[in-house]
Amino acid sequence: METIIEIKELTKLYGNGRGIKDINLDIYKGDIFGFLGPNGAGKTTAMKIMTGLIRPERGDVKIFGYSVTEEYELAMEKVGCLIEIAEAYTYMSAFDNLKQLARYYPEVDYKRIDEVLELTGMIKYKHEKPKKFSLGMKQRLGLAAALLSRPKVVILDEPLNGLDVEGMIDIRRLIHHLAEQDQTTFFISSHLIHDVELTCNRIGVIYEGKMLNVESTPNILKNYATLENYFVSEVERNGRVPSSAR
Amino acid sequence: MAVFQAALVNEVEKLYKKKKALIAVLLSLAVIVIGQLAIVGVRSGFGLRGAGSVEFPMLVLAVVVNTILPLFTALVAIDSFSGEFSQNSMRITLTRPVSRFKIFCAKIMAIVLFILAMLLLLLILSMLVGVIFNTNSGTLHSFVMTIFSYLVSLLPMVVLALGIVLLANLIKSGISVFFVSILVFIVLKVLGLIFSQYSSLFMTTQLDWYNLFLINSFPVGKIVRQFLIMLGSGIMLFTAGFYLFDKKEF
Amino acid sequence: MKFNKKTAMLISFTLGTLLVATTALADIANKSGYDQLKDALKVTAEQGSEKFDSFTLDFSIALMDNGKTLMTSNEIKKYDRLKGASETISTGESLNGDKNNYQYYADKTTQIRVSESDPTIYVTEYAKPREGEVFNNPFKEDEAADLEKILDAIVGSLKDYVVVVENSDASKELEGKLTGSQIPALVNAVASYSLKQEFNGNQSNMPHLTKDVYVNSVSGKANVNKDGVMESILGTAVLSGKNEQGTDHDVTVEILVKLSGINTTTVTKPDLTGKKVVKNIARETPGDEIANPEMFVGKFNNNILIEKDNKFIKIGERIIEITQIDNMTITGRYYEEYKPGFEEYATPDRKFKLDGKKPEQKNYSGFDYTTESGIKGNLYIDEYGGKIHLNMNTSMGGLHDSTFSPDVE
Repeated sequence: METIIEIKELTKLYGNGRGIKDINLDIYKGDIFGFLGPNGAGKTTAMKIMTGLIRPERGDVKIFGYSVTEEYELAMEKVGCLIEIAEAYTYMSAFDNLKQLARYYPEVDYKRIDEVLELTGMIKYKHEKPKKFSLGMKQRLGLAAALLSRPKVVILDEPLNGLDVEGMIDIRRLIHHLAEQDQTTFFISSHLIHDVELTCNRIGVIYEGKMLNVESTPNILKNYATLENYFVSEVERNGRVPSSAR
Repeated sequence: MAVFQAALVNEVEKLYKKKKALIAVLLSLAVIVIGQLAIVGVRSGFGLRGAGSVEFPMLVLAVVVNTILPLFTALVAIDSFSGEFSQNSMRITLTRPVSRFKIFCAKIMAIVLFILAMLLLLLILSMLVGVIFNTNSGTLHSFVMTIFSYLVSLLPMVVLALGIVLLANLIKSGISVFFVSILVFIVLKVLGLIFSQYSSLFMTTQLDWYNLFLINSFPVGKIVRQFLIMLGSGIMLFTAGFYLFDKKEF
Repeated sequence: MKFNKKTAMLISFTLGTLLVATTALADIANKSGYDQLKDALKVTAEQGSEKFDSFTLDFSIALMDNGKTLMTSNEIKKYDRLKGASETISTGESLNGDKNNYQYYADKTTQIRVSESDPTIYVTEYAKPREGEVFNNPFKEDEAADLEKILDAIVGSLKDYVVVVENSDASKELEGKLTGSQIPALVNAVASYSLKQEFNGNQSNMPHLTKDVYVNSVSGKANVNKDGVMESILGTAVLSGKNEQGTDHDVTVEILVKLSGINTTTVTKPDLTGKKVVKNIARETPGDEIANPEMFVGKFNNNILIEKDNKFIKIGERIIEITQIDNMTITGRYYEEYKPGFEEYATPDRKFKLDGKKPEQKNYSGFDYTTESGIKGNLYIDEYGGKIHLNMNTSMGGLHDSTFSPDVE
C-alpha cells in the first residue's frame, strides 16, 4: 500500500500543557481516515502542522514523500484542506473567492469552479458574498475550496460543523463518491463518533495529545458493538475515561 | 514563478476589490483639486504666481510624499497583514501550494505596485491640472525631472511600507500598528529636525530624497549613499518582517 | 533547506545592517556643502572676534530691475580689535537717485560722524570709556543656536544644493543655485509674498509688481581660504512678476560681503582740524546711574502756554528748583509763576516740595515723590539731553508740557 501521509514523532506543546506529543501515523492511499478525539485532544494542532499553519517543535509530516516543513509547495500540491472554521474573503463573491484559489493550479479553470460549487450545492449562491452566508454555507464553500484542485489528499477538520442533517448526508456521500471514483485519500477529524463510524474506513484515536490506536473500521466493529464502545475502552486502557465520552 | 505570479495577482485583486484603492484615487484627486484651488486663490488674492505648470506637480509631490502617500501605504500594508491575521483569512492562502516566502513577497509587491500606481496617478493628474490651469513654465528638462522625481519617490515609500509591515507582524492589532506607525513617523520627523545633521539617516527625511536629483550639480556621492542606506534598511526590514511572518502561527 | 533559510535570513539581515551602518558613517563623515558653509561662517566670525587684530569687511548691496540699477549701497567696515576702534565708510545711491555718503568712526572714547551732505562733523565723546568688543561673534549670541536649528530645519533637503569645489591649496569654493521647482513651493510663496510688499508701488522708482510674483532663482557663491576663513560671499536672488500693465519685471538683489586686510587694516581717526565740529559729551554710563548729578542742581523751567485767537500765548513759567541731588535722592520744589493778568490760572495744588527717592528697580533713572497733600508723581533725569521730565498726577496749568530745560540765562 502506498503511503500518502507519513507523520513521524510529531510534537508541539503549548504553554498550558495542551498540544500533541510524539504522534506517529501513516495514511495509505484510499484511506478515509477518521481522526477521532474529544475537544482539545490536539486534533486541530496536528492538522495545522500537516497543512503548514504551525511549525512542529519536533518531528515532521511528509505528504507524497515531501516534507511539509521544508518542501511546502511540493507537499501541498495535491492537497486540499479545510482547517477549523472555513474562511473566505467577505468582500468577494463565492465565485471570486474560488477564482483566487484557482490561480495556484494551472489546470483549474472556471468550469471546475462551477463544478465544485455544484458538488457542494453552492451554485445558487455563486455571485453572493460570504458576508451573508450561514455557518453551513460557509462550510460548504470551504469544502468547495478544498476540492477545487481535484486533490489526491483532502484534509478536513470538523467538516460537518454547522451542517444540518441533510448537509451531513450530502457531504458524506460526496466523500465516499470521491474516494471510490478518484481514489482520493481523506484525513478527517471529528468529535462526532457516530459520524466517523459512518464515514471513515480507518480510525485513529487521539487523546490528550497522544495517539492511542489506529484500526480499520470493519475490524473495530467486529470486536465492539459500536465505535463508541471502542473509543471508551481505548481511552480506559490508556487512562482516565473522559466525561464527555461516557 | 507561476505560483508567485498567482499570489501577486491575488493580492492585487484583493486590493482592488476592497475599494481601498478607489478611496485612495478619490483622495488623490481631492488633494490635487484643493491644491489647484489654493494656488488660484493665492494668485488672485495675493498676486503671487503660486506655481507654474511644472512647479505644480512638484508641489503636489512635496505635499503627498509626507501626507497621503505614507497614510495610504500604511493603511494598505496594515490591511494586507494585520487585517488578514485578525480575520483568519490568511489561512485561505497559506494552505495552498505556495511558500510563505512567496506570499510575503507577493504582498510586498502588491503594496509596491499600489504605491507606484498612486505616484503615477498623482503625476499624471497633477501634470494635466498644472498644464491646464497654470502659466506655462515648462521645459523638456523640467518635465523629465518631474517624472523622475515621482519615480524615485517610490523607493523611500517602499522602505516605509516595509517598516510598517514589520510592525504589522510584530504587533497584533491593526489599529495599534496604525497608531504606532503614525507615532514613529512623527517622532522621526521631529528627530530629523532636531538632529538635522543626521537627518539623512531617518526614513522620514528620505521621503524627500527626490530633491537630490533636482540639484544641477547632481551630487552622485550623496545620492549613492542615500540609496545604499535605503537599500540596507529595506533589506533589514524585509528580512525581519519575513522572519516574523514565517514564524507566525495561524 | 531549513538550515539554508535561517542562514539566508541571517546573512541578509547582517548585510542590510552593515550596509546601513557603513553608509551612515560615511554620510555623517561627509559634510554637506551647507554644513561646510556654516562652518566657514562660524570660523570666520570667531576669528574676527577673537583672533584677528584687524580686518576689513566690505558689504555691497545692489538692486536691479531688468538689468537697470535701482539702488546701490556699499559699506566698508574696518575693525581694529587691538585699539577697539572701527570705521565705516558708507556710499550709496538711494532709489530716488540721492547719494548718501558718510563716514563713521568709533573707538572707546569717541564717535565721529562725517557726512558728505553736511559740512558739520558730529563728535561724541564719552565720559567713561566704553566697554565691549568692536566686533561681536554673532554665533555667540544667546539665540544663535536656536536660530541655527530653525534655519537647518527650513533648509532641510536643500542642504546638498551647496556644491563644494576644493582647490589644490586647500581653499574652497562653495556654490549653489536654486531655480524654478527646486525652490520649495511653500518657501517660494512666503518669500515672494513678503517681497511683494516691498514692490507695492509706494516707492516711485521701484517697479510695482501685482501679478504672478515668484522667486525665480536664488544663488550663492562663497570663497573660503585655506584657513577656513570665508573671504567673500555673494548672494543673488531674482524675483519675477508683472506690473499692472502686464510688463514682465525681473528684480535682482545682489549682496556681496568681502573680508580682506586681515591683520593689515589700519583704522584712522578722521582729521578734525579746521572743520566745523559739533561736540557733545555723552555721560552714558552703564546701568541707570547719573554720572554728574551735581550738574542738575539749580533751576529748570518751561513755559506755560495757552491757546488764544489761534495763537500760543505765554502766560507764565513752570519752575523746578533742585537743591540737592545724588543717585538715590532728590530734593527741591516745584512752583508756577504767572504773568500779570493771568493770575487766575494759578492754583495752590501746583506748588509743592519735591522730596524724591529712587525706587528699587533697576534700569530706571526716575525718582518717585509724594507731595505734602499726598499726590504722587515722578521725576526723570535725562542726562544726555540735560533735561528733567516731570510726571505730575494733577493737571498742569495751560497746555501740558512735562519737559523742563535748565534755566541758564
